[in-house]
Amino acid sequence: MVLLTTASPAAPGPAQLLDRRAMAGGVRAMAPWLVGFGLYGLVVGVAAGRAGVPALAGWLTAPVVYSGGAQVAAIDLLDAGAAPAVVVATALAVNCRLIVYSAAMGDRWRATPRWWRALAALVLVDPSFSVGDDRYQQAAGADDLPRAHAHYLGAALALWVTWAGAAAAGILAAGSIPDGLRLEFVIPLFLAAELQRRPPTTATRRAWMTAAAVAVVGASFPARLGLLAAVAAGTAAALAVKDRS
Amino acid sequence: MTAWLAILVAGGLSYAFRLAPAALSGRVQALRRLERVAAYVVPATFAAVAAAGVLGRATAGTGALAPVPPVAAVAVAVVAARRTGSSLAAVAAGLPTLWALTAATGA
Repeated sequence: MVLLTTASPAAPGPAQLLDRRAMAGGVRAMAPWLVGFGLYGLVVGVAAGRAGVPALAGWLTAPVVYSGGAQVAAIDLLDAGAAPAVVVATALAVNCRLIVYSAAMGDRWRATPRWWRALAALVLVDPSFSVGDDRYQQAAGADDLPRAHAHYLGAALALWVTWAGAAAAGILAAGSIPDGLRLEFVIPLFLAAELQRRPPTTATRRAWMTAAAVAVVGASFPARLGLLAAVAAGTAAALAVKDRS
Repeated sequence: MTAWLAILVAGGLSYAFRLAPAALSGRVQALRRLERVAAYVVPATFAAVAAAGVLGRATAGTGALAPVPPVAAVAVAVVAARRTGSSLAAVAAGLPTLWALTAATGA
């Protein structure tokens, strides 16, 4: 009786939040992303396997940091012998967009139990936000919300497992891939391409041009501080443009 | 040990980024300023890491033409990304360009 009175009637239960059919729908919606991010995860794994960091520590970036850009930056900095504070600050600079995603999900997740929110947050990243956001926008009222939660979780877990598995495969394969292939160069290529895929504005162009210039000029800074300076300069330059417009 | 520490701290704080705003739902007015900054941090970081990678490849090569393969490979990747909208297509176009120009220039 006590249990009945403490539970909110609106709060969805585990059976609804983990509804298999809705989760399978999420996995299907995530499928196109799994191919691209599986390959990306493989490349990040190869980079981690070739860097001068313990293989298990390099792999751990996949499930724990769980963001290609942040992982690549962290692995690159660790390989170059950067100070831990610089590695952490750079990874967090890349990952600060997650705060925005989390804030956007906050209202939708309000009625969910803590364990579910803890799990849902763990697997929150760009594609899972995108797929989840699409489903939440289609939700037909409050009754459909638990199925939207399950859809999000199914999609997000599928990506997380794929990413961690691809990184492990990349690390294991790193030693058998010839140096001449220069696979580590996939990362600058991928990041440069990602910049082109985002809607260009004067401010974003100013951000990446300034950051690239400062990164080159600051390449000789100790502890790879040039990278951090580049991110700060690029962001400040973009904000200055935004403030003037 | 340094690598483990940095990865665990970065992972723990990244998880806080993912969880705390959702947990503090309804009290997120202060995040609006951060949202404005976050929109530019990602392109700045991607550009900085990419530029550092190109510079690293250019300085690792030998000869006066050493910068040509990585710079040309990125240029080809950028064009491919613009035309196809796919980062994977960009990599598929850029990497063979790097290989071919590296072989041609001996860089």
